[in-house]
Amino acid sequence: MKKIIALFSAGIMVFSLMACSGGGGSASNDSAPNSTSAGDSGAQSAAINFDQFSGSGDNEKFLIEMIDRYKDQNPHVDIKLQSYGYDDYFTQLSAKVAAGRAPDVFELNYENFVAYAGNGSLKSLDGTGIDTSVYNDMALKAFSKDGVQLGVPNSFSNVILIYNKELFDRAGIAYPTNDWKWADAMAAAETIRALDDNIYGYFHPLSFHEFYKTVAQNDGGFLSADGSSFTFNTPQNIETLTYMVDMQLKTNVMPTEAQLGGMGDWDLFKSGRLGMIINGIWAFPDFTRDCDFEWDIVVEPGNIRKATHFFSNGYVVGNESGVAEEAAKFITFISSNPEATQIRLDAAWELPPVNDDSIISQYKAKTPPANREAVFQSLDYLVTPPVISQFAELQDIVGRHLSDAANGIMTPEECLESLQAECESRIDLSK
Amino acid sequence: MKIAKTNNGLIALMFLLPSLIGFAVFSVLPMIVSMAVSLSSWDGLSKLILFDDVSGFFQEFGIGVANYSNIFATPELYQVLGNTLKFVAMYIPLMLIAAMSVGLILAKGRRGSGVLRILYYIPVITSWVAGALIWRWAFSPEYGIINEILKIFGISGPLWLQSAQWAMPGIVLASVWKDMGYFGLMLFAGLRSIDAGYYEAASIDGAGKIRQFFNVTLPMLSPTLFFVIIINIINSLQIFPQVMVMTPGGGPGGSTMVMVERIYTRAFSYYQMGYASALSWILFVVIFLFTFIQMQLQKRWVTYDV
Amino acid sequence: MTSNAKKILGALVYWLFAGIIAVMVCIPFFWMVSTSLKSRGALMSIPMEWLPKEPTLDAYQKLFEIPFFAKSIFNSLYMAVTCTVAQLLFASMAAFALTKIRFKGQNAVFSLYITALMIPVQITFIPIFIILTRMNLTNNLNTFILFHLFNAFAIFMLRQRMMTIHNAMVEAALIDGAGWWRIFFQIIMPLCGGALATLAILSFMSVWNDYLLPLVLLSDRAKATLPIILSGLSGQYQNQFNLMMAGALVSIIPILILYVCVQGQFKEGMTVGSVKG
Repeated sequence: MKKIIALFSAGIMVFSLMACSGGGGSASNDSAPNSTSAGDSGAQSAAINFDQFSGSGDNEKFLIEMIDRYKDQNPHVDIKLQSYGYDDYFTQLSAKVAAGRAPDVFELNYENFVAYAGNGSLKSLDGTGIDTSVYNDMALKAFSKDGVQLGVPNSFSNVILIYNKELFDRAGIAYPTNDWKWADAMAAAETIRALDDNIYGYFHPLSFHEFYKTVAQNDGGFLSADGSSFTFNTPQNIETLTYMVDMQLKTNVMPTEAQLGGMGDWDLFKSGRLGMIINGIWAFPDFTRDCDFEWDIVVEPGNIRKATHFFSNGYVVGNESGVAEEAAKFITFISSNPEATQIRLDAAWELPPVNDDSIISQYKAKTPPANREAVFQSLDYLVTPPVISQFAELQDIVGRHLSDAANGIMTPEECLESLQAECESRIDLSK
Repeated sequence: MKIAKTNNGLIALMFLLPSLIGFAVFSVLPMIVSMAVSLSSWDGLSKLILFDDVSGFFQEFGIGVANYSNIFATPELYQVLGNTLKFVAMYIPLMLIAAMSVGLILAKGRRGSGVLRILYYIPVITSWVAGALIWRWAFSPEYGIINEILKIFGISGPLWLQSAQWAMPGIVLASVWKDMGYFGLMLFAGLRSIDAGYYEAASIDGAGKIRQFFNVTLPMLSPTLFFVIIINIINSLQIFPQVMVMTPGGGPGGSTMVMVERIYTRAFSYYQMGYASALSWILFVVIFLFTFIQMQLQKRWVTYDV
Repeated sequence: MTSNAKKILGALVYWLFAGIIAVMVCIPFFWMVSTSLKSRGALMSIPMEWLPKEPTLDAYQKLFEIPFFAKSIFNSLYMAVTCTVAQLLFASMAAFALTKIRFKGQNAVFSLYITALMIPVQITFIPIFIILTRMNLTNNLNTFILFHLFNAFAIFMLRQRMMTIHNAMVEAALIDGAGWWRIFFQIIMPLCGGALATLAILSFMSVWNDYLLPLVLLSDRAKATLPIILSGLSGQYQNQFNLMMAGALVSIIPILILYVCVQGQFKEGMTVGSVKG
């Protein structure tokens, strides 16, 4: 045994030697990427590390174009862009943050924004002198916490009803309108479903986000008004879930997962065998390119009332950043400056989150879909998800229960009872 | 021999030095860190100050064994552990049979078996993303190839990945498909290193093919087999990518929630790094026990000297 | 039954059995190839198109248009080769010490080494990243060599092989006056040819596919490895399957080539492998 101890101490000694020499070097290096390196001349030059995911792949060239514009106007600033795929973006971000190497500027989607904001790892943008009046209110508010602005939205996508005009013509029924209710949609869906065994009428994904919005359409909700308790098993919610499950299992106007057999919902629509799909406006570029039939959009149907929802990604500044002010200026530029938003618009890369009339009218003028007005009409009915600290966990629990209901393992009522019980035992709403 | 004996410790150290350094830095140290984190409420969303300031870290985040007691108090652990063990119990026997078949087919060395050697290895190098796509399609209850085949025999197949009962067996099948070439290759290498002389001697003694298999092949292969079993146990208790891609979100009724999937989700989606670390130490103990039992049992069946 | 008929029957059974497994194994691969040749529109049609009606190399072209894509292949190759060599050398040294050099605590060291396999990498990768950051080893492809100083899997595998080599061979060599290094390189290593060849493939493959740690360590795009570039293809709302499959295929090719090359080693492994000397 002594030998082993001797062996180990030898190994650890070697390591500590390495670590010491390494540590000495890193002391100066650690702060380098985050700090302003003041030039001798006195001109403040700054390097901003920038991690993001939404501008990866096809969109990266547009993002680089925006960055280049910014650099042209601010030659003293260097932007070090790091693009990651969505799947592991948050894992690598967490590792960097843990190592004290958080980027100066990084991108967060709404769910992760809630997590980071609750932790105090984000710099407040209040007092950095940036102009937030240009942003769409709803999108801007999503990136604030307790009245403090902690990030700016960079893109904005809401969800609408997309429909295949040709299938409506074939079925001989009228196109959807903004006033449609669930019953109208289901009636049309059944007529279209009757056209052919391989044609489906409706697609409404049964996911967390879709569910919280759809219960809102039926005057239901996940939480009590004061946010202190869960209200999953209310009659309105059971009715909503029954509606969403029945379209798969009972009327089968929507294909079940088994019937889809691994095919994507988008692909079903693009293949011309789906009448209507509830989907985000981010599908426009894809559908424009791949659909060889006419399609258009309307505000999605409601029941007791209308409700719609949106997704937004935002840029934030890390709390440890040594170049916070430059970073704040930079994120405002690439998310809201007219030049940058023009690039985003021309690339059909979601919707710039700004109030700029010229941008919005340009967006509306593009076709298809012809009725882009509906994108903005939908904004009148926006509902937002509950903001709780265990958001990701809630999302998982709800998602798992919903797919059990969709697979017919549980009835909607059983599903929501079990959901209620699991959330009550696992999620602490007081935090 | 005398000289060699007196200096052996130092000589061994010389050969072991690189691996000892690597072990200390990249295994022991990270394990110590994760142990410390498992005693904390650190969420992974702030700098890990543990490296600079141990007492400061525990002052801010230290919660003792609260993570462990929380884990043991929730039914999730037992469900997840049960799912994981279910996977192991189905996967390992199937895997051993499949890998042994592959190893024997390859070692048989008929003309053209070189091609098989390449073909059988293809699933191993196919990424899980691609593998999962095709398996999800194959398991599709209405159009999938597996239920089509079952139909020929008059069996109406299950819902596979969409049923709480059959999702895990589905994952087992896909995993065996993916890994049998990997372990088959190892067994093949082991089979190849058996001297043909042993078989000759056995057949002179009048042993038939089956007796040769049990009296020569298995004992001679036992060190390799032992290795394959241990690695299989360790790896299958840590099953991860296939469940993430084939049944995202834990599968029907949570039937495919497994340990590492929970660890990853807790750490990087719920941002409960302390909880996730505690969970991985519980998994460590489970794996350790399984491996320990195997190590003890090896004396009974593994022969290093024939 | 004549022995000839028996032989034919044997071959028939063999090929039937081998063939069934081969088909099972190849369908997904075939599907990957076919998907990578599809245009976006034809991706997921019902009924599934086994062969794309209009095959196109678009996906491959797009792949090579990704900045640093070709460079990343070289980076991956460099990393895989250096790490495999390092791993084979250091692991054989360790396995040699654990089997052929008697010292107190041999089994204890071995058991400790094995425990390294029991903690999920998903949990240790953040501490490892922090350690490497503090050692100032980010954005350096050679960092990963250090990481392969120790590999419990490789050591375990080679130990199992070396256990079956008779100690008498080492003792005889010692009496002949051979040094330990000579015994290691000239007697033991050649005898492990088959195991080393197998390990070379497995190790090459695991380094080639290694992903999480390179993703955080190699933030400089010019240093990125192939899996990092390919991971950039995953999207927030949608994945481009034809592109992903083309990428997966490109990343398989080097392993296949290596595998075909090393195959010859297996045969040698057999002829040299007169186990008990």
